[in-house]
Amino acid sequence: MIEEIRNKAKELLETKTVDCVIGYEPATDNLTSRPVFIYEPSQVNRLIFDETCVHNLSKYLINRRYKPTGIVAKPCDTRGINLLLNEKQLRRENLFIIGVVCSGIRKVRFNQIENSMPTKCQYCSQHTPVIYDFLVGEPVTEAPTHNYSDITEIENMSPAQRKAFWSEHFDRCIRCYGCRQVCAGCYCYECFGDELDPLWVGIRIAPGENWVWNTVRAFHLSARCIACGECEHICPVNIPLMLVNRKLEKDTLHLFDFEPGIDTEIVPPFATYKKEDKLGTGE
Amino acid sequence: MTKVITKEDLLSWLRQLAEKYAIIAPVTSNGVTLYKSVGSSEIDKINLNFSKTELSPKNWFFPPSETLFTIVKDELPRIIPASVDREAILFGLRPCDAKGIALIDKAFLAEPADVFYQEKRDKTTLIGLACLSPCLECFCTSVGGGPADLTHLDILLTETAEGYITQATTEKGKQLLTGAPRQEKEIIPPVLPSLNLILAEGITELMPRVFNDAYWDRVADRCIHCNICAYVCPCCYCFDIRDYVSKGKIERVRSWESCQSPGFTRLAGGYDPRPTKGAHFRQRWYHKLLYFPPIFGDIKCTGCGRCVRSCPVNIDIREIITDVQRMKV
Repeated sequence: MIEEIRNKAKELLETKTVDCVIGYEPATDNLTSRPVFIYEPSQVNRLIFDETCVHNLSKYLINRRYKPTGIVAKPCDTRGINLLLNEKQLRRENLFIIGVVCSGIRKVRFNQIENSMPTKCQYCSQHTPVIYDFLVGEPVTEAPTHNYSDITEIENMSPAQRKAFWSEHFDRCIRCYGCRQVCAGCYCYECFGDELDPLWVGIRIAPGENWVWNTVRAFHLSARCIACGECEHICPVNIPLMLVNRKLEKDTLHLFDFEPGIDTEIVPPFATYKKEDKLGTGE
Repeated sequence: MTKVITKEDLLSWLRQLAEKYAIIAPVTSNGVTLYKSVGSSEIDKINLNFSKTELSPKNWFFPPSETLFTIVKDELPRIIPASVDREAILFGLRPCDAKGIALIDKAFLAEPADVFYQEKRDKTTLIGLACLSPCLECFCTSVGGGPADLTHLDILLTETAEGYITQATTEKGKQLLTGAPRQEKEIIPPVLPSLNLILAEGITELMPRVFNDAYWDRVADRCIHCNICAYVCPCCYCFDIRDYVSKGKIERVRSWESCQSPGFTRLAGGYDPRPTKGAHFRQRWYHKLLYFPPIFGDIKCTGCGRCVRSCPVNIDIREIITDVQRMKV
């Protein structure tokens, strides 16, 4: 698997098809992995792929939108690429996607690999990349299933319980904006969180402002979040952001029969208007 | 003979202290360990076996946000300065974190001192816990610290099978300890752990030579420019100030800010003196390793390893220091 990735990366760089391949290399703990940008064919042996390759590298494509770039992508990451293509943020002709078949990765932290899978993998049924130029691994044909049992649990809470649940989590948010910076769907030139005129949310790192930040961040990703789970994975204070994201994903699926990033061509619900669009809360 | 306090006595002493002082101590919930204010009925919640808190104790002196003063529209405008109402005990600091506070002191207490910081600092006693099982990413001994370094603490506690060895280093600490129920015991102090060493020595002299190296752009490729490293750091202290204006009231608020955030050096008109990803990224390391040392005498790093552990893309200060050493020409 790793050999295939290295050989393809080498070929792409040698033939100047791309001038950089974004992939994974071992991290400094000699246990997990980290993103790497390979510019020289002689450097391709740094590339690896294993169960610790958690990062969604599609975010990096935004900075390289005008440069021919190769990328190693898991199925969830390819949904990020599709999202960006769909929203006209990338040019397909500038991309070479090395898709990797994935049956789930492991929950990782620096110096630590857990035996369990991260939340995103537990609910994922997309094991084959949705878009690729070169495929590593045998494609899996599996009907996508949807399991929202974790969301139903939150939905069944009373509004007061739900408020208490989220207050407990949002209160400890430090507004590091890690969730935004790591997100493939967050590419605004100026985020509402930074905007001064109009001022949507103040700089105070306090419960009220944290609620505004976390809810508006989530709403901006409704029908757009591709469930890569990076926001939740990197949150330094362990806020279960995927619960909010998956609630919106569930509603989008029920209201519009739409899954973000699965297809490059279908116009996303918030980029169009149909008279028959349902109104409601998704129930 | 050494003076020790048993775990039970320590907790009941803290319970007693909580009547007079605000106690700030490590508490674990929702999978994260943070310094929290604990009342006398909550002393049992204190986690005495944590390795390292997710956020540093700097939050107590330099909170994520604080109101500096309020102006109320009266007949005459009145300025109400913020103030601390109670003396506090910051309990369970690792020696590296105490050093982090000492480093922020250098910047915030230099004349003219930051009064908001100073008030909290003056009213707080620091009780440390020696670090007997450091994390793999820790490197305090490489930057002048140590797992049982008591330099920047008022009291240091070192855990043994017989109880905690108590050492007071300041007048404040000695006075506080007089009320603690301690016993004299014959105790062999625990062997301190040894940590991985990195060669940080001489790094300040090397930094100017590599300022324009393409290295910074290459590492910055990977950086996602979140503020995690700065916010978990025990000695990063950049902030932003804004006014909250509401009917008849203006509050001046200070909040954490970081050199990695998008608008950090953007000026009116849109010009940014750090225009590239690399220049943006480089600032963090130059502040820590080059700009701070000649003014304040130390590199601005305690070796706590929090940024190493929390960085989403494994930007590792140990690796950066080693790489710069290798670039030596």
